[in-house]
Amino acid sequence: MTGRNPVRALEDAVASARERLLFSAKRLGLTTVGYDRIDSPLGPLWVAVGPRGIAAIHYGDEPGAIELRRIVRTYGAGVVPDPKRAAPLARELDEYFNGRRRAFDLAVDLSGLTPFQRRVLGATTRVGYGELVTYATVAKRAGNVRASRATGAALGRNPIPILVPCHRVVASDGSLGGYSGGLDTKRALLALERAGDVPEGGWTPARLRRD
Amino acid sequence: MTFGKVLERHEREIYAYALRLTGQRADADDLFQETFLAAFRAWPPPHTEHLRAWLYRIATTKMVDRVRRDRRSVSLADLRLVAPDGDGPLRADLAAAIRTLPPGQRAAFVLHEVEGQPYREVGAVLGCAEDAARGRVAEAKKKLREALR
Repeated sequence: MTGRNPVRALEDAVASARERLLFSAKRLGLTTVGYDRIDSPLGPLWVAVGPRGIAAIHYGDEPGAIELRRIVRTYGAGVVPDPKRAAPLARELDEYFNGRRRAFDLAVDLSGLTPFQRRVLGATTRVGYGELVTYATVAKRAGNVRASRATGAALGRNPIPILVPCHRVVASDGSLGGYSGGLDTKRALLALERAGDVPEGGWTPARLRRD
Repeated sequence: MTFGKVLERHEREIYAYALRLTGQRADADDLFQETFLAAFRAWPPPHTEHLRAWLYRIATTKMVDRVRRDRRSVSLADLRLVAPDGDGPLRADLAAAIRTLPPGQRAAFVLHEVEGQPYREVGAVLGCAEDAARGRVAEAKKKLREALR
């Protein structure tokens, strides 16, 4: 270690100790979820993979306190950095953003959500690439035709955006509605999937019905 | 709190503490592993204790266990990491002398004199009263002065 920057040497020593620790912790069954921060055209994404599939995609460097509490409540505290485990998702997302993938092969894990949320997100998963549906349609498909407002709320808390394509769900009047990652993000995802066809003020209701 | 967050916040200081206690990287590495695996196994930390103090206490207990298990001689190979700004020979002498202290005094000395933690915190880590922590540090300093004379 002589001749090297001591602070850098300490960082390196800690990094290799951490790697060995995480390997042991995983082998001993002390970890449940692996996460990574990946770059995307929409900025950094915090992605997490649980025992049954993709557990979270979060716009930004890391999830907020509420989202993290849900993850810990569902999977326990064994949530650790694991780029290797997140790599298949990173690859599929990369293909998606480059227009080379229209559907995801990875399973999503919706445990820890209410039955209604699961039905709403399940119905949303079946909306195809570039298609548009309304909150009312998703509510109907989720089994409660009068619950469009609750459907909007459930989609607003979608823990796995992009893979559960809530960006394809818009308001009945043709306007974009809401999005957890911000409306610019929603517009960018729809523009990617619809070859730029995202009118400034949204779609006319007649256009939506045709779509 | 997730294990990932625990590491992000405390891995550096626990590693540095392990390095100061053991004086060499291989032992510090093992102590680091033992500390965090024990913490993850015992998770969550007791309500009565701060996470940071709890981690230091586990590391200290593990160090005591290791000293009891094997009393190997000190290698001075990685001392640059122990006290990067110190003077060569002095630093080596001090680290070697620290290594000769009984584990309780060694931990007390490193926590207070090297890491600057107040006696109250040292007591919390070692599971003893503030006065007892003060006594251990004083005893350690006396022994070190004798060893370095």
